[in-house]
Amino acid sequence: MVNKKIFVTAAIITLILFISIYSLNFFLNSQREKIVIDKMEDILDEYQEIQVLSLMSDVFGSEMSCLSLESTLAHLDRTLWDTGIKIDRYREATEGFLTDPFYLKQKRKFNRNEVLYFSMLKEMKDWCEFNRTVILFFYKKKEDCPDCDAQSFVLTDINKEIGPEIALFSFDSDLDLPSIKTLGLFYKITSYPCIVIEDETHCGLYDKGQLTDLLCDYKDLSLCS
Amino acid sequence: MNIIQVVLVQIVWILSTYFIIVFLLALLKNKNRLYDSPALENNEKLSRVSIIISAYNEEEKIADSIESLRLIDYPKELYEVIIVNDGSTDKTKDVAIKYADGTNIIFIDNAKNKGKAACLNQGIAIAKGSYVACMDADSVVPKDILKKIVPYFRNKEIGAVTVSVEVKHVNNFLQKIIQLEYKLGLSLFLRVFSLFDCIHVTPGPFSIYRKSVLEKIDNFDVNNITEDLEIAYRIHKSGYKIANCMNTCVETITPHNFRGLYRQRRRWYSGALMTLWQHKGMLLRKKSGLFGYFIPFNYALITFGLGLFLLFFYLSISNLIKYISLYSLTNYNFFSNLTWELDLLGISILAVFGISGIIGMIAIVTFGLNAIRNSPAKKISLYFGYFLLFILYQFFWLSSFFLVLFRRKVRW
Repeated sequence: MVNKKIFVTAAIITLILFISIYSLNFFLNSQREKIVIDKMEDILDEYQEIQVLSLMSDVFGSEMSCLSLESTLAHLDRTLWDTGIKIDRYREATEGFLTDPFYLKQKRKFNRNEVLYFSMLKEMKDWCEFNRTVILFFYKKKEDCPDCDAQSFVLTDINKEIGPEIALFSFDSDLDLPSIKTLGLFYKITSYPCIVIEDETHCGLYDKGQLTDLLCDYKDLSLCS
Repeated sequence: MNIIQVVLVQIVWILSTYFIIVFLLALLKNKNRLYDSPALENNEKLSRVSIIISAYNEEEKIADSIESLRLIDYPKELYEVIIVNDGSTDKTKDVAIKYADGTNIIFIDNAKNKGKAACLNQGIAIAKGSYVACMDADSVVPKDILKKIVPYFRNKEIGAVTVSVEVKHVNNFLQKIIQLEYKLGLSLFLRVFSLFDCIHVTPGPFSIYRKSVLEKIDNFDVNNITEDLEIAYRIHKSGYKIANCMNTCVETITPHNFRGLYRQRRRWYSGALMTLWQHKGMLLRKKSGLFGYFIPFNYALITFGLGLFLLFFYLSISNLIKYISLYSLTNYNFFSNLTWELDLLGISILAVFGISGIIGMIAIVTFGLNAIRNSPAKKISLYFGYFLLFILYQFFWLSSFFLVLFRRKVRW
C-alpha cells in the first residue's frame, strides 16, 4: 500500500504547476504589452521623421524630400499593418482568458495613428504625386456587423498580393474616436462593412473578384492583368 | 472570452494533472515492486480451484482456451474446468463437449442464451473449489497462472485477484494501439490502483475470486452488462480487497476494426455508467474507503473532459465552416492568409494548459512503458495513435451517456 502523504504531495505539485502556468501567463502578457508599446513608439518616431521631412521639403524643395518621404511612408505602412495584426493577435491570446483594458487603449491609440498617417499620406499624395491606391475600411464588432470579418479577410488577401501598390487603413467604428466619426461623416458611412477607394464609398460585402473589379476601375494594378 | 471554456479547461487540467501526478508518484515509488507477488511456500497445502468458462459462439477459439487450461501447472485433482455453453448457434458445443470428462472438465449446455453472468453463476453453483476463476472463451492463460495467484489468498482480506491482460493477436495498427492501452490500462494502471485498494474492475478475460466472497455477495449480477465491473464494486462494499498480479497474464482477443471496438466500448462504458448509478450509495462515503472517492473523481474527470472535448469539437467545426466560407470569398486562395512567423507570445494560456496536458499524457505513457516488461517500442506513431484513440473514446463515451440517459438497450 502507498503512504497517504502521496495525495498531499500531488496536491502541492499540482498547485505549484498551476501557479507556474499563471505566472507564465503574467510574464507573456507583460512581454506582449512591451512589444505593442515598442511598436507604438516606433510609429511615433516615424511620424516625427515624416514631420521633419515635410519641413525639409518647405526649405529644400519637395523633389529631394519626396524620395525620402516615400520610403519612410512605405516603411510606416508596413509597421502599421504589422502592429495592427500584433494587437489583434495578442488581444486574442490574452482575452481568450481575461479581458485586458490595455488592448482597448492600444487599439484606440493605433486607430488614432492610422487617421494621422492617412491624413499625412493624403497631403503627401498631392505634393509628391504618390500613386498608391488608398483604401479605407470601416468596420464594427461582429454582433453589429456579421460581414466585417469576411471583408477584413478579403482585404488581407489583397494586401498580401499587392501590398506595395496600395495603402490600406482599417478603422474600428466601435471605438467612438472623434477622428473616426469625422471620417465616417465625411465619407458618408451609413452601414458596415464599408470600403472607401480613392474617396469613393462602397458599402456592403465584396468578395475578392468584386473588389478587384472595383480597384481596377481606379487604377491598373498588377492584380488587374 | 468564453467563461465556460475557461472554467472547463481549468477543471479538467486540475483533475487530470492531479491524477497523473498521484499515479506517477505511486509508480516511481513502487517501480521495483510492481512484479512482486507472494510465492508458494514449501509444502504449502494447495487449495482446490474451479475455472469457469462461459461460451457463446466461440467455436474457433474455445479449443485454444481449454488446451491452455489443460496445460496448467497445478495438481490435476485440485482444479476443475466448468464450461457453460450459453445457447451457442455455432459448433461451440461440439468442440467443447469433446474435452468434457465429467470430473476435471465439466460441460453444461444451455439450450437458450442466458447471458454471461447467469452462466458464470451456474458454474459457481456447482464449483467445488475454494477459489473460482472466471475466464473468457477467447482467452488463453500461461501454465503458471494458478501457482502465481493462489498465494494471494493467504491474505484473508483478499476477495479477488486480477492479472495482466495482454492482446493475443496483433495484426494491425488499431490492435497495436489497443495492445498499448491494455498493457497500461488493464495491467499497469490496475496494479497501481491496487496500491490504493482502488481496483474498479476484475477483467473478464481472467480473474479469480474467493468462493466464499462470491457466495456472500450473491454471485454475479445477471442484469448488468459489465458483470466484471459491477462485482468489483460489491467486493469493495463487502469489505474485501482486490489484488493485482503483474507476474502472470491472460491473453485475449481484441477487436480488429473500429466497428468492433465501438461495440465493445459502448458496452463497457454504458455498463460502467449503469454500475455507477446502481452503486451511487457507495460514493463519497468514508466506509467505502479510498474507492468511494476514487470512483467519483474518475467519473468527474471523464464527464468534464467530455464536456471540454465537445466544446472544442464544436468550436473546431464552426471555425472550419467559417474558414471555408471565408476562403470562398478569395477563390480558395489558401496561402494568402497563412503566416509562417513563429511568435511564441501569440500562444494563449488556454493553449499552455492544453500543451501541458499533452505533456502529462506523454509522461504517463513513457513512464508506464518503462515500468512494464515486454513493452512495445516507443514509436511516435504509437503515441499519436494512442492520442487519436483517446479522442475516439470521447465519442464512445458520448454514445454511452446517450444510451444510458435514454435507457436504450445495450447488447453484447
